[in-house]
Amino acid sequence: MNVYQIHNLKKSYNGRAILDIEYLELNAGRIYGLLGPNGAGKTTLLNILGFLDKPTTGTLDFLGKAVSFKEHDLQPLRKEVVVLDQYPVLFTTSVYKNLEFGLKLRKIDKTKREAVIDEVLDLVDMTLFKHAPAYTLSGGETQRVALARALALSPKVFLCDEPTASVDVENQAAIIALLKQINDTKKISIVFTTHDRLLAAGLAQHTLVLNEGRLVTTGYENTFPCRIEKISDNQIRCCLNGNTCWLLSSDIPQTNAGKARIFIDPEKIRLFVGRSEVSNCIEGKVVQLMEESDRVRAVVNIGFLLTVLLKRENYNFLRPGIGDTVAVSIESEAVTLSSD
Amino acid sequence: MDILIDSLFSALLLVVSLDREMLAIIMVSLQVSCASTVLASLVGIPTGFFIALRQFPGKRMVITVLNTLLALPTVVIGLFVYAFVSRRGIFGPLDLLYTQKAIIIGQIILIIPLVSALTIAAISRIDDRYRRTAMTLGANRIQTAQVILFEARFGITAAIVAAFGRVISEVGISMMLGGNIKGFTRTMTTAMALEYDKGAFSLAVALGIVLMTLSFGMNILFHFFQGKYRA
Repeated sequence: MNVYQIHNLKKSYNGRAILDIEYLELNAGRIYGLLGPNGAGKTTLLNILGFLDKPTTGTLDFLGKAVSFKEHDLQPLRKEVVVLDQYPVLFTTSVYKNLEFGLKLRKIDKTKREAVIDEVLDLVDMTLFKHAPAYTLSGGETQRVALARALALSPKVFLCDEPTASVDVENQAAIIALLKQINDTKKISIVFTTHDRLLAAGLAQHTLVLNEGRLVTTGYENTFPCRIEKISDNQIRCCLNGNTCWLLSSDIPQTNAGKARIFIDPEKIRLFVGRSEVSNCIEGKVVQLMEESDRVRAVVNIGFLLTVLLKRENYNFLRPGIGDTVAVSIESEAVTLSSD
Repeated sequence: MDILIDSLFSALLLVVSLDREMLAIIMVSLQVSCASTVLASLVGIPTGFFIALRQFPGKRMVITVLNTLLALPTVVIGLFVYAFVSRRGIFGPLDLLYTQKAIIIGQIILIIPLVSALTIAAISRIDDRYRRTAMTLGANRIQTAQVILFEARFGITAAIVAAFGRVISEVGISMMLGGNIKGFTRTMTTAMALEYDKGAFSLAVALGIVLMTLSFGMNILFHFFQGKYRA
């Protein structure tokens, strides 16, 4: 069953479109990671899904019913969905009263409120802070109490804006585990935004990528602004950051000269250890290596950070090390260009 | 120098002995100032709240006008209200001139801009995340407004304290609209001005001590709330 269905949804500020989604469907009980760079429209989409913001045009269905964005109609819907801010705030009262706020609004009696608060505080491991003034909590504790405050309301959907951005590693792990647990046990659908690929890979069952307000099919990594120059009828030159350039055949769609956006498929990049004899290669140094299921992720600095996904056997053969000089070959089949 | 020491000594005696005339004057002052502060707060806080949270054409101009009105001299307000409440004014038949009500009207006009401006400042400092958090937890508009008011409570209390401090120490409005009638409209400040004119310093200094103590207390409260708000 769908929790959300979006058709031709647009959001503009001062005439500038910051969100433009043709179609999107989010299923119940799943965890969705919304990836994208800063300014991609992730938070705007999250606020629209949380009924805190209205789209300029388009339709949004929630649990099979079209949402009317009249304030009067939105209020009951907000009781089904909770948005967790990137830097959540707690009301300047006790932890208990923070958790009690939403429950009181839902007219839940005192005995039940008490039981729910005890349960969720236990879940986030914050029972000892039940009566503590909220302003005395650290960032990680605040995040956990904010999570508990949302969880106490048993929403159908959790919308988390960068849930681990403002906390340390220990709290990050605790929050990720908690989100997985509530999805698993309470079947709450979760949509979270992040620009951290690893978090998305570790937590999300589905990953959506937003770029400049649009859902894109290309991966989030290896997408850069670039400049295209026509060299000849069958060759173009692609330059990034003004100084890293290489030649490509001009049979790639959208190869008009000028500013463009390039996506380089990390699985189709060829990597050579040492200085390569192959022409049209770019030299760089390996700065990061990471195991990822049956592949190895190598991040190479070639004037910008390029991610290369190596098959395990290929990695075993090449054995690049951190700091090693390597050469990468980016052929036309690895490249998708789009107008900027 | 002797006159000052003698007056101070007699004044302290008046304060310690809780002189009846002095207490009557203090009571009038407190009655008038409390009434004007409460009424001005009832108007000023919602006004400030509305201006701070709503977007409307001319909002900046309204805030500028409010800030300008903070510097309005009390004698100007006295003169202005006098024109309305004197026998020849449009409210002449209500017989308000030289009554506590007239002083209260004048003082309300004096401090509404102060309460509104400080409320705007207090509300504007509240992070928008509080509003969004209240909404996402299921609050309706009124409940969300209550959350914002709650979060701004120290700033708003400071606004009320500042307004009370302003009216208890003003003299122009009380003198021009109250007429300094003994036991009726004689406030601490108008009594001090009269006693000074008479050359009788004891009561004036005694009232001065009480007024200074009150103002000091108000300022301590003001800074307490402001400090707590910032924390």
